[in-house]
Amino acid sequence: MTVNGVFIGAMILLLFSAMLTLIRLLAGPTIPDRAVALDSMTTTTAGAMVLYGVITRQAVFIDVALVYAVLSYIATLYIARYLVKKRVGIAERPEGEAS
Amino acid sequence: MNFEELFWAIQVLVGIGLLTSAIAAIRFKNLVSAVIAMAVFSLILSLEFYVLQAPDVAIAEAGVGAGLTTAMYLLAIKNTTDEEVIE
Repeated sequence: MTVNGVFIGAMILLLFSAMLTLIRLLAGPTIPDRAVALDSMTTTTAGAMVLYGVITRQAVFIDVALVYAVLSYIATLYIARYLVKKRVGIAERPEGEAS
Repeated sequence: MNFEELFWAIQVLVGIGLLTSAIAAIRFKNLVSAVIAMAVFSLILSLEFYVLQAPDVAIAEAGVGAGLTTAMYLLAIKNTTDEEVIE
């Protein structure tokens, strides 16, 4: 098995875990589940982007992964600030209140 | 597995993910869930541009989709109500 084959196998595993995270995003009952699924999926896809840039040997592709990691951090920060302000996903909540 | 098979496998996975996240963004009743599904749609679309050898378009799509659109939609939802009104 060559080095390129190892990289391709790791990238297949990363894409498979991204698909599993997509299932959690579809089935997650509460909003914090979906926010965590979005954050995990962006991190996994940034890693897959770096591996794709390594496989194709083009250094420009690494910059896209860097930019996407920073911007997804900003998006997750906005969603978390909204959830804290609206008190969504806090543990002790009155019964019967819809999420 | 060589590189061509990896390319087509990524294409199939990206197509399935685009369709699923788009349908989810339409069908979700909670607006914040719909915004999160749309962020995932933007992520997979950026991955598609990336795989099709256009990294500058992928950077633009990532900036608009992940940063700008999510923040603006959340600011708009914060100033209105959370749930979708069904008559």
